[in-house]
Amino acid sequence: MTKISKLTAAILMTGFTGSSWAAQSGADDLILSVPGLMPSAVLEMSDEPGLWFKDPVDGDALVVIKPAQAAMIKMTDTNTEHTITSLLWPAGAENFPVDQEKPSSASVTQAFNKPGLYVFTCKVHPYMFGAVVVDDPNTKGLDIGSELQLVTGAKVPASSDLAKRLLRTFFVATTPSLWRDYSKPKWEVNLPDIPLNIEGNTISLSALSMTMPNELKKPGAPGVGEVWVNTQFEMIEGKKKPGTATRINTRSWSTTNKFKGIKEDMNNPHNMWTDKRYEYIYQTQWFDKKLLTFDRANGQVYSNIVVGESPSHVMTRPANDMLYVAINAGEQVVKMTGGKNPSAQNSINTGPHTSPHGHYITDDGKYMLTPNALASSVSVVDLDSEKTTEIPTGGIIPIAVWGTMDGQRAYAANLLGTPPLLSSLTVIDIPGKKKLMDINLAADYDPVSGKISGEAYGLLPIQTPVSPDGKYVVTANTLSASLTIVDTATNKVIKSLPCEPGCHGVHFGMKQGGGYYAYAASKFANDLIVVDMDKLEIAGRVLLSDPKDSSIKAHNGMGGQGILALPLVEHGNLKETLKLSGKGELSPEVEGWLKELTPEQKGI
Amino acid sequence: MLETTWRESLFGLIDGEVAKSLLIQSWTVFIAKFEGIFPTTVLETLGEVGASAKAYFYREAIKMTKIAVLIFCVFTFMQAAHADTESGKTHLITMKAAKLDSGQLAYQMVSHKIRDASGQVEDITGRYSPEPTIPGPAIVMTEGDKAEVTLEQGIKGSNEPVSIHVHGVHYKIDSDGTMKVFNHTSDQAAFPGKPYTYKWTAALGTAGTWPYHDHAFGNPVLGSEDKGLYGTLIVNPKGGKVSAMIDGQIKQVDIKDVKREFILWMHETTFWGQELNHLANRQVPLWTNPTIGAREGELVRFHVIGIGTAFHTFHLHGHRWIQPGTSHLVDTVNIGPIVREAFVIKAGEGVGPGNWHYHCHVLQHMQSGMMGGFRVIEN
Repeated sequence: MTKISKLTAAILMTGFTGSSWAAQSGADDLILSVPGLMPSAVLEMSDEPGLWFKDPVDGDALVVIKPAQAAMIKMTDTNTEHTITSLLWPAGAENFPVDQEKPSSASVTQAFNKPGLYVFTCKVHPYMFGAVVVDDPNTKGLDIGSELQLVTGAKVPASSDLAKRLLRTFFVATTPSLWRDYSKPKWEVNLPDIPLNIEGNTISLSALSMTMPNELKKPGAPGVGEVWVNTQFEMIEGKKKPGTATRINTRSWSTTNKFKGIKEDMNNPHNMWTDKRYEYIYQTQWFDKKLLTFDRANGQVYSNIVVGESPSHVMTRPANDMLYVAINAGEQVVKMTGGKNPSAQNSINTGPHTSPHGHYITDDGKYMLTPNALASSVSVVDLDSEKTTEIPTGGIIPIAVWGTMDGQRAYAANLLGTPPLLSSLTVIDIPGKKKLMDINLAADYDPVSGKISGEAYGLLPIQTPVSPDGKYVVTANTLSASLTIVDTATNKVIKSLPCEPGCHGVHFGMKQGGGYYAYAASKFANDLIVVDMDKLEIAGRVLLSDPKDSSIKAHNGMGGQGILALPLVEHGNLKETLKLSGKGELSPEVEGWLKELTPEQKGI
Repeated sequence: MLETTWRESLFGLIDGEVAKSLLIQSWTVFIAKFEGIFPTTVLETLGEVGASAKAYFYREAIKMTKIAVLIFCVFTFMQAAHADTESGKTHLITMKAAKLDSGQLAYQMVSHKIRDASGQVEDITGRYSPEPTIPGPAIVMTEGDKAEVTLEQGIKGSNEPVSIHVHGVHYKIDSDGTMKVFNHTSDQAAFPGKPYTYKWTAALGTAGTWPYHDHAFGNPVLGSEDKGLYGTLIVNPKGGKVSAMIDGQIKQVDIKDVKREFILWMHETTFWGQELNHLANRQVPLWTNPTIGAREGELVRFHVIGIGTAFHTFHLHGHRWIQPGTSHLVDTVNIGPIVREAFVIKAGEGVGPGNWHYHCHVLQHMQSGMMGGFRVIEN
């Protein structure tokens, strides 16, 4: 771990002097210019898993500088646009926070005066983390600070449980060797013995170390069909950019194969959808500009088309099988024809600086909802007229939304809560096009002491689908590594289940004999969690890595994000597939899946 | 023969001295042949007819003489012009590609000597920053100069090739500064312990501000200009004057009267600056989004250059300039990647002293800090 030596060196470092050649105003009468900031450190934003803010010196995601020095953050190693946004910083630090209104290819040079921890992220890809530690060489230990301010406006003591969680998450997220590898018996987060100065006290970073056993378990009852998981961080031989789509057979609960997109250099595949015949997989490439279409059965690539900056999610409108691709670093959803070679028809504007991420189309195909990551809003689009209504929600980085099958209500996950709520879901009245309320996902969590007094413990929520029976909202919470389950009757968290570091994607699939499974994938672990929705319990953990595949160079099975379970549980979509059944239009495999469905699952 | 001489001389295939000699030879041959065919004695025997023929041929001979004189004048002019295109100065430059503490890459001047036609050598290395800088050293030449630029690979921890690809001036294919995959000839890059020398000619017609940048490091096609491996080549016109709008009129400004030159590279949403200060006779790195400064009424020259992928609009408050070769007055110009604009202004002309702003007028770029000050100090 390079950063260990870096941190140690930083603590020991004294007496650094800058270039003596710079112009000195006043000292040299002939030269009247005053130099700008000279970056003492650089973080280059990249598409590389874990190293989204990469120090070119040693490849770490953290740089250490001294007070009054400057660091530069730039975007020369990424295929898409980002924002450079302060996630947290020492309260009262001059010139903070740093932020941009919308994504671009910016470079920012910033002077840092106040010692402490400064974490940066991108609002479009909000798990891209990079940190600058401003260390005063005259204090003992590496300065983390006393009070940290979050981008939400909240201030927390640096010794608080929340701050420690953020710190540990930062190290885990940015250090692939600390990711949870289920092919090993234990998960060990061994952090180095580096003295940290937190609120004037010296604490070893190693105090944040932890160990947990890794136990895989196949669910007792099989599922129907197959589950595709975007193992977005897998590194493949012959490919520069990360990511694959891993196919799981729900009968055997094993990996069938992985779609790699080597020739296309598929870049950070994030989310998938399919057509009504289940012939194609439409694959977004989130750190890029393209939508890739491949054959679900044999992996043949049909097209790889530029659709816009950072396409995040894709869905079809049930009635006509048209594709709707959210352009996360833009302010639109692109409507495309489906099939082998999707062709853009038009752009649906979701509002200025909206950056839509994980959108949702209602079962009846009437509305599309977009969570607008940069606009603190949710847009409701009438898909016939394509008229958009933007609903301000007050949520910080609304990142995913899903609705009840009756088309009445939707739940939007606000990654950074709705101030003053630390973590929240916003409930939307879809036909009324208005916000109803916020659900506090962390009502039972004390951010200072870390005490958890009930089930409501979900921090940094991401994907948040509603179960097909309309009873529950299952939310993946990335910071707390938990799945929260909200009862839609009361809009309260009734259960929290343990997830994995970087818990991210959730979606439902069919359980054999009736009922549903919720599948959850996590960025910094290589298992797929299977939740039995009848019992609201974890039914199993399935390995996403393939140790036998020698073409996987690194991060085997890691980076779990988008999930696509087939047959689709959405009744609106499923109905269109069922219409084709028995007419020779579906493959025998798909016909077999449909035969296994109960009337309830079919929505009959 | 005569025609051949003409053509060959004009195309520069043989030099003027040879051409002159050939011309004289051919004229002598012409006269000799005429007199050989029609000896004077024979012509005299032919009486009036002979006299007419003789007169005719002599008229033709005079015509030919006129043509010969004309040709001779052309040769003489061409010779003078040819001699005038070369200053006799050769810049002997050694630069190094290095890694900054921040991990950025940068060029550094190791040595710059100028050898004149008489063989005398002037060492101007002291004008440069002794450290690597972004942008890299600004090399100043004059039309007619040549340069031999040797690049050393001094990037710690790397064995990869690094190069200099220059714009604007003349060079042969082996000085393109690209890799074989690109130029189909050879890898024109420095490796650790194996420098590479590029030969440039600042021929007539190459005056202007030009970028140079790496075309090899880390990526044999793109190179690493994005990491900081770029710099400026300024070729001053042979006549020593550039046009500028000064005191409301387009004037020819003597470059010697320009004491401060500001180089501003526009990369992503950052200005990377450098000053060529001719009063202190040194180059000053100004790093990111600097404040540049001059005294009111001083002539200063700006060199604004784009790099990377973004398109910018460079705007300087309170001042305006003419675009080179035109009378087109502007205060904002589009700067795309590797596009450049060089112009001379009189600091504070018509507006007086102040902390004048300069910035990219793409609002989003401004929002990321792409701006600085032009401090005009009262005299």
